[in-house]
Amino acid sequence: MSIEIKNVEKSFGRFKALKNISLDIAGGELVALLGPSGCGKTTLLRIIAGLEAPDAGSILFHGEDATHRHVRDRQVGFVFQHYALFRHMTVFENVAFGLRVRPRRKRPPESVVRQKVHDLLNLVQLDWLAERYPDQLSGGQRQRIALARALAVEPQVLLLDEPFGALDAKVRKDLRRWLRRLHDELHVTSVFVTHDQEEALEVADRVVVLNEGRIEQIGAPHEVYDHPATPFVYQFLGDVNLFHGRVHDGHARIGETEVELAGGPDHPGSAVFYVRPHEIEILRDRGTGTIAAKISDIRPLGATVRIELERTDGRGLVEVELTRDRFANKGFLHGESVYLQPKRLRTFDHNSTLENTIGSGQFIAS
Amino acid sequence: MTTIAFPTPIGRSHAAARTNRDPALVRWLLIALALVFLIGFLFLPLAVIFTQALSKGWAAYAAALTEPNAISAMRLTVLAAAVAVPLNLVFGIAAAWVIAKFEFPGKSLLITLIDLPFSVSPVVSGLIYVLLFGLQGWLGPWLHEHDIRLIFAVPGIVLATIFVTFPFVARELIPLMQAQGKEEEEAAIVLGASGWQTFWRVTLPNVKWGLLYGVILCNARAMGEFGAVSVVSGHIRGMTNTVPLHVEILYNEYNSTAAFAVASVLTLLALVTLAAKSILEWRIKLQTEKRP
Amino acid sequence: MLKRHSVLPGFSITLGFTLTYLSLIVLIPLSATFLKSATLGWDGFWAVVTAPRVLASYKLTFGAALTGATINAVFGLLVAWILVRYDFFGKKLVDALVDLPFALPTAVAGIALATIYSSKGWIGLFFAPLGIKIAHTPLGIVVALTFIGLPFVVRTVQPVLEAFDTELEEAAASLGANRSQTFRKVILPTLLPAILTGFALAFARAVGEYGSVIFIAGNIPMVSEITPLLIVTKLEQYDYAGATALAVSMLVVSFGLLLAINGLQRWTEMRRA
Repeated sequence: MSIEIKNVEKSFGRFKALKNISLDIAGGELVALLGPSGCGKTTLLRIIAGLEAPDAGSILFHGEDATHRHVRDRQVGFVFQHYALFRHMTVFENVAFGLRVRPRRKRPPESVVRQKVHDLLNLVQLDWLAERYPDQLSGGQRQRIALARALAVEPQVLLLDEPFGALDAKVRKDLRRWLRRLHDELHVTSVFVTHDQEEALEVADRVVVLNEGRIEQIGAPHEVYDHPATPFVYQFLGDVNLFHGRVHDGHARIGETEVELAGGPDHPGSAVFYVRPHEIEILRDRGTGTIAAKISDIRPLGATVRIELERTDGRGLVEVELTRDRFANKGFLHGESVYLQPKRLRTFDHNSTLENTIGSGQFIAS
Repeated sequence: MTTIAFPTPIGRSHAAARTNRDPALVRWLLIALALVFLIGFLFLPLAVIFTQALSKGWAAYAAALTEPNAISAMRLTVLAAAVAVPLNLVFGIAAAWVIAKFEFPGKSLLITLIDLPFSVSPVVSGLIYVLLFGLQGWLGPWLHEHDIRLIFAVPGIVLATIFVTFPFVARELIPLMQAQGKEEEEAAIVLGASGWQTFWRVTLPNVKWGLLYGVILCNARAMGEFGAVSVVSGHIRGMTNTVPLHVEILYNEYNSTAAFAVASVLTLLALVTLAAKSILEWRIKLQTEKRP
Repeated sequence: MLKRHSVLPGFSITLGFTLTYLSLIVLIPLSATFLKSATLGWDGFWAVVTAPRVLASYKLTFGAALTGATINAVFGLLVAWILVRYDFFGKKLVDALVDLPFALPTAVAGIALATIYSSKGWIGLFFAPLGIKIAHTPLGIVVALTFIGLPFVVRTVQPVLEAFDTELEEAAASLGANRSQTFRKVILPTLLPAILTGFALAFARAVGEYGSVIFIAGNIPMVSEITPLLIVTKLEQYDYAGATALAVSMLVVSFGLLLAINGLQRWTEMRRA
């Protein structure tokens, strides 16, 4: 089932949680709402579910206005952040709950309920826990039971609030792959909330980046990562180095260095250039468009090596990430003087006052 | 998060480790001092009730309890509790629901007001109803004209009992339900449960021990209240005497054995209450500590 | 009524019922009492609440309540301490019985205390040869008020002591503090808000107490007559105005104490957090 969100607004007291949110979600899609805490992502999810009512705007399910439809009638499955399993019921009873509370004429017979609950428990691979109570389960097991319970009512839409938020790093990784596979199997329209960019990029078909109640960017994982629309998205999706400089005559001036630009904003002025740590080359010789720096720290991190450098002009620290192989080839040493060559410089147009405009100035250094 | 295979034992398991921190002499001196205090103020008063009650033998004890005035006092006490406890139970649930599950202005004032009867002297608790419904009171003349008697009659006793036991259930349930939040109820609603289904199948099972705890304390106070009931009762023997008032009359008539015999029944009720309370406290601890 | 949207049902009906019931049982009768006292006029009211017999009863009531609460602050801390820190035979039983004064009807407590503290009673017996009479004197009132206030300090201090991090004590010891320094400088300041809260609760309860006191007090005007008893006496003499004035003066004190206790409890919780 498709979901359309049109111009939704929501305030709590004086706090504006959501500002004019519009978003279309196609049927069968798996969408991540990504953003820092307090950005409004959970509020938006609860509005889609019908747990909160928007102050303005509307929610359409399958083209039909569902803004005033009660949560009970929306046919949504909701997985709560802390799972909200009924602690006095067994796992079996928890999953059966949605079937047992149906009005008498719609309630399936006991044998059907049993069959269905066991099918669902098999689906989440936890049939052997049917008679346990929630407090006897691990976090990951609770999470899967909560999902089975939500699926029992055959929801048209599955909504998950920070589904992996309360789990260990390892369990988290396993579970998100499992969730992705499950979605490919069931193909129910799903929306989940997360503050973890890795999670959003790995699991979702599309990512919606939210900040301070607004949508910053909507796109496929590679789109938002490779072509961030705003400085916020750029910084939120990974580590970043900032270089302050000026643009004039097709050149970028950073400190003492001039970098020739292939394209970009023609209007001269000061600019902030964004470069990811893996987009910087470290050279031993001064080439064109390089910045002098001194290695202050070398830290191997699994598959990559993180090198911290201090700019010789005293304008701060730069982080560079190299693969293990490359680092081994070069054999950089602590305290060594080197030259930094950014492979990509990205800047965003600040002359525009509209906050949601797409940055015009993506350009590549020659 | 690790798997918790079985409920973790609740208790002061770590207290034992501390036991030996103080020198033995200090330890035993402090324990002895505390016990002397408790003997003087708790154990001896408890013991004297039963020795006095049985000082003239079991026959006198049984006679004191089966005497018609004693029986009618017991009947009235049970009646007052049977009205007051269910009413305050329904109130407690309603108040806890609205306070724990909703946000609205004036909530903390409401919580304070619910506790108000606890801070009012029992005598004053009775007096306020005399001033409202008594012959000298605001509604007294009107009630008199219509031949309705509330004060110095059973309804007054019931009202005073309701007042003094007013907060018991509410104050047990409010913190418990606040601690449990509303996620489980929301989950039930999303799964299609109606309001009643949510309440009966999710909320109530989650607070049942706290509820029972409140009811037991409420009942103990309802059956034992003296001051407030004394003011509104009029002390008409066989008519408006509750068990505690009956004890007073017997004692003032120097019929001490009978007074203590009747008092021993109330004491047994208190001991049962304490036992139930201890068990329930343990269960509530289990219920609130093990959040899924 | 302002309310945040919620999918949970029953807001209006439960709030409506709560407010109606609260008003009918508590608020209206209490306000009626204040209104009634207003009919006395300020001078009349003042004359009643400052009559010599009334002043004597205040002095006795507050004095005895203060003494009882102080005894409970000291011994309540002691009892809480041995229950949390030490193991001894019968600890569970003692722990459960501490609440007896909450559960035992006050009239029963009154006759039991009057019996053992009378000059022929189990305890009074030892004091009689020393010329000390306990029952039927103000001392008896202190005994009764100590009894009914006993659980308060124990039950407010106990949880704080249980949550108390023994690492703090160990840290103090490692820094060279001896046991009594550790107690005075580390433990006692942590427990203070709880002790004061328990003290205030015991005091508030004692000020209004009636049932357990009247049997042991002697009830002699100007000597051993507490304020609640004076209210009953005035009522029995059909002096409704006088009884009301006294009741209002006590209500004002109770509400003041309630506010103080709320403040103290907030302080205790802040300390625990």
